[in-house]
Amino acid sequence: MSITRRQALGSAGAAIAAGGLAKPAIAVNEPIRVGYLPALTGPSSSTGIGINRGIQLAVQEINAAGGVNGRQIELITRDTQSDPTKAVNGAAELSHGQNVSVVFGPVNSGESLAVVPLLARTNTPQVHPCWVDTLTDPQKYPMCFRNAPTNQQIGGAANRYVVDVLKRKKVAVISDTTGYGTASVNAYVPMLQARGAEVVYQGNVDAANPDLKPELLRMQSAGAEAIMPWSVNAGFLSRIINTRGNMGWDVPIVGQTTLGSGQTKALLEKPEYWAKVYPNNFRNVCYGAGGKLPERTTAFVDRLKSTKIDMGDTLLWWIALGYDSPRMIVEAMKAVGTEPKEIVSYLNKLKEFPGVYGDITFGPDQHNGYPDEEVVMVEANSLKDGAFNLAPGYSS
Amino acid sequence: MVESIVSTGLAIGCIYALIGITYNVMFSASRVFSFTAGTLGMLGGVLGSLFIAHIGMPVAVGLLIVLIAGAAFGIITEIVAVRPVLKSLDQHLYVLSTLALALMAQQFTAIEWGTEARPFPRLVDIVRGGFDQQFWLPMLACVAVIVGLELLYRYSLIGRAFLAISEDNYAARALGLPERNLRMASFALAGMIGTLAGFAGGEMLLAFFGNAPILTFYGFVPVALGGMGNNRGAVVAGLLLGLFQQAANFLVGGIFASVAVFTVFIIVLLVRPEGLAGATLQRRV
Repeated sequence: MSITRRQALGSAGAAIAAGGLAKPAIAVNEPIRVGYLPALTGPSSSTGIGINRGIQLAVQEINAAGGVNGRQIELITRDTQSDPTKAVNGAAELSHGQNVSVVFGPVNSGESLAVVPLLARTNTPQVHPCWVDTLTDPQKYPMCFRNAPTNQQIGGAANRYVVDVLKRKKVAVISDTTGYGTASVNAYVPMLQARGAEVVYQGNVDAANPDLKPELLRMQSAGAEAIMPWSVNAGFLSRIINTRGNMGWDVPIVGQTTLGSGQTKALLEKPEYWAKVYPNNFRNVCYGAGGKLPERTTAFVDRLKSTKIDMGDTLLWWIALGYDSPRMIVEAMKAVGTEPKEIVSYLNKLKEFPGVYGDITFGPDQHNGYPDEEVVMVEANSLKDGAFNLAPGYSS
Repeated sequence: MVESIVSTGLAIGCIYALIGITYNVMFSASRVFSFTAGTLGMLGGVLGSLFIAHIGMPVAVGLLIVLIAGAAFGIITEIVAVRPVLKSLDQHLYVLSTLALALMAQQFTAIEWGTEARPFPRLVDIVRGGFDQQFWLPMLACVAVIVGLELLYRYSLIGRAFLAISEDNYAARALGLPERNLRMASFALAGMIGTLAGFAGGEMLLAFFGNAPILTFYGFVPVALGGMGNNRGAVVAGLLLGLFQQAANFLVGGIFASVAVFTVFIIVLLVRPEGLAGATLQRRV
C-alpha cells in the first residue's frame, strides 16, 4: 500500500498532537527536581558530609510517605569539592541545564559567596545554612533564605554568655589574621562594649605562630577574666587552650564552634585542658539537665539509630540541619506547588517551621530564619554522639 | 620571659636555619633557589605524623621513611622543576617552576591530609615540662646536620665533589665529575635536611599543610642574611632570626612581630646586600 504525502503529513500531525496532549499527564507524575550543592569532598567537606546524612534521610522519608502530592523528590546533587569555582559551575548547571525548582546549598560560606548572586540572577529559589552576614539580603537576593544563624547571632550568643551568664566584665578578644578572624573581632568588640564589657586585650595573631604565651601573658596582665578566640583554625585554638593550661590560668575560653571539634581535642597536650572551654552550639541539639535531649530531638536521634546513621564521627546539628532543609522546602511545595515565585511567597510568610535544629521563621524583609535564643554555648569536653551539654548557667 | 625567648627562639631559629641550609645545598649544586625548601619542611611534619601517629610505625622507622621521602621529593624537584630551566638561569624561570611544584605539593597535601593542623607524636617518651623535647629536638637536629655536613664536605670523596661543582661546575665537568648525578644527589641531600627540619620541629609547628609557605619565607631570610650558599651564615642568621622574632612576640606582639622581623630584614639587606656573612662579588671589567 502506498502512502501519499498528504497522508504522511496528516499522520505526523496526529502523532505530534497526541504527544502534545500526553505531556501534561507525564509532568504530573514526574519527580520534582531539587538542586543540592554540598561539599562532599575536599578540605572543607566535614560539614557537608554531616549535613548529607540528614538530607538523604529526609528525602527517603518524604518519598516513602508519598512525596509532594504524589510526586517524588529527586535530589540533583553536584559535589562542590569545597571549591567555589566548582560550586558556581554546579549552580549554573542546576539552574540552567537541570531546571531545578529550588536549590539547597552550598553549605560553606566561601562557596555561597560565589553562588548566591548567580542564583539570584537566574531567579532560582535558594536555601542555604551559611553564616556570613551578607549572604542574605531580601532586596538584592529576594529568593535566597538562610535556615541557620548569622555570624552576628553567633558572636552575640558568646557575648551574652560571657557578660550576662558568667558575669565577666574584662574580656580578651583574639583572632587569627584571616578575613573571618579579623572581621569577627571588628564586629564583636563593639557588641561586647555595648553590653557593658571592657575589652582589655584585642589582637590578631598569625595562626601559625607556634608560641602564644606572649599574647596570653599580655591578656593576663591586662586583667582579662575571659578569653574569646575567633578562628576556625584548630591549631591556633588548641595553642590558646594549651598555653592557658600550661600557665595554670583559670579563665573560661568562649567562642567559635571549632573550640569543641575533634581536631582541636586531638591537639591538646592534656585532656583536662579542655575544661572551661565553651564553644557555640544550638539549644535544640544539646543535652540539658539530666543529660537529655529535647523531646523532638530524642525522637530524631532514635530514627537515626534505627536507620544506622553514624553520629559518632560528626555533629548532631549538622545532621539535623540537613534533615530539616528538604522538609521545609517540601512543606512549601505541598502548600503552593513548585513555581519559584510561589515557593518564595510561601517562605516569606513561614512561621516557626518546627525543625530539629531549630524553629525557622522568615518574613518579607527578614530572610535569616534562625532564632537568637537558640544559639547557645556548650561544654567542649562533653561531646557524646555528636552533641554537647549546655554550658553552666543555662536553664534547659 | 627570657627563658621563653631563649628556648622557643632558639628552637624555631634552628628550624629556620635548617631550611636555610636546605636552600643552600640545592643552590650550591645548581645555582638555583628552589622554593620547595619550605614544602620539604611541611612534608617532614605531615609524613612524620602520618607514619608514626596514624600508621603506628616506630619512631626510627618513621624517621627513616620520612628522610627517604624527602630525598625522593628532592630528586623529583631536580628533574621536574630545575633541570629543564638550567639552560636559561639568567631568566630566573626556576622561581616559577619551583614555586609551582611547591604549590602543587602543598595543595595535594591539603586535599589528602586535610587543611586542619593535626598532632605530631611525642618522639621521646619522657614527661612534658620545662626545657621540653619540642625545644631541644630541633636544636639537636640542627647540630647533627651541621656536623654531618662538615664531615661530608671535609672527609668524603662525594662531599669534595659537591664542593667542586659548587665552586665551578664547568671545571668540575671538565675533570670528569658526573655533574648531573652530583646535582641529583645534592637535591636528595637537601630533601632529607628539609624534611628533618619539619620532623624535628613537628611538635612545635604541628602537622599542618599551611607551614609550607611560612617556612619558605622565614627559611629564606637566613639565606639572604647569611649570604647565599653560606651554611655557617645561615645557621647564625637563623638563630638570630628565631630569637629576634620571639623577642618581638613578647615586646610588640600580634601581627606587629612579623612586621618587626621584616623591617629588620629589609634594613640589613639595604646596608649589606650581600648578607651579613656573604662576600661581595668581584666583577671582571
